[in-house]
Amino acid sequence: MKINISRPNIFLIAIATFLLIFVVLFSFLVLIPKGKEYRVQRLSVKKLNSQLRQYQNFNDSTLEKLKNLQKKNRHSITAFDNIFNPDRFEKQNSKYFLSLKLAKIKRTKKYEESFDTYEVNTTSKISSPQSFYNFLDSVNKSDWIIEVNFPIHFKRDKDVINSTFTMKVYVASKDGKKKS
Amino acid sequence: MKYSYIKPRKKSAITVELKFVFIFFSVSIFMLFSVYSFLLFKDYYFYKETATIETKQKELESSISKMKEQISFIQKEVLVAEDIHTKNSVLRDSISNLFDLIPQRITLSEAKLMKNGLILYGITPTKDVYNFMLQAPLRSIFTRTYSSFYPDENGWLRFVSTNYVDNKKDLFVEGEIDED
Repeated sequence: MKINISRPNIFLIAIATFLLIFVVLFSFLVLIPKGKEYRVQRLSVKKLNSQLRQYQNFNDSTLEKLKNLQKKNRHSITAFDNIFNPDRFEKQNSKYFLSLKLAKIKRTKKYEESFDTYEVNTTSKISSPQSFYNFLDSVNKSDWIIEVNFPIHFKRDKDVINSTFTMKVYVASKDGKKKS
Repeated sequence: MKYSYIKPRKKSAITVELKFVFIFFSVSIFMLFSVYSFLLFKDYYFYKETATIETKQKELESSISKMKEQISFIQKEVLVAEDIHTKNSVLRDSISNLFDLIPQRITLSEAKLMKNGLILYGITPTKDVYNFMLQAPLRSIFTRTYSSFYPDENGWLRFVSTNYVDNKKDLFVEGEIDED
């Protein structure tokens, strides 16, 4: 039996077959792998976004913690940052002493690698030990972190008490701030 | 003379069927390329998005690490400040307790407070008053106590009381005096 197909029909079938092969090949070789890649990337971005949100939340909570800590301990932080000023110290504490003199401010070894320390020798006159107790109370509220240190010497001179003692002033060192 | 009952038609290579095939495949190929373009755009978008997220994540990591350092330094500062404030307070109480130890009948003229010792100079009416009222409590605090006397002009006795603790702990800061 002879199948008689006209020339336009052969042309039509050829074009249709060629286009169909192109569509199938393009779909299977390009589009589907790209689609799979898209799905993987979408999941990855979603995961990264979720991680970023976690980081953001942790950052926010850490910032809040830091701010609270700074707010709560403002006095200590400022006191560690202040550079010791002998004149201001004498002025602030002169009410506890009949006379107050600071001498020999010398830098001593670092405390815990984060704090610079300065030793200040102090000579003073007080009317009673109570004045010295009041001074020790006020030192804790002063503009600097000061530790009253030994040796402490009290000597009676008629109605007044001559006293000498050492103070250690702590200042936050820049290296320490960077290190910690 | 006519040989056909119908009018003659123009014959063309692009038949109606071919037009249908072209329209069908054009739409299909257009849709395939649209999807492919969408995937390519998304691919680029995800690439950019991933880069942005990674940059933000790194920034947050650095910010968190900086804040953690600040928190740790502030906590250190607070601990040191609290320790110093406690030492000052304990010193204040210790000196107060020391002066409270001195009985009414004994007058102190000088006191040297050291890290591990105490030297007292004063006047006592008799040796017994000194021994019972001052030396006894001092002995309960210090591990070694030495006393020496020499007569004063008014018949009373001048004394020098030297007291030491052998352990390496700071006498006044540890608050041993409070125990008495």
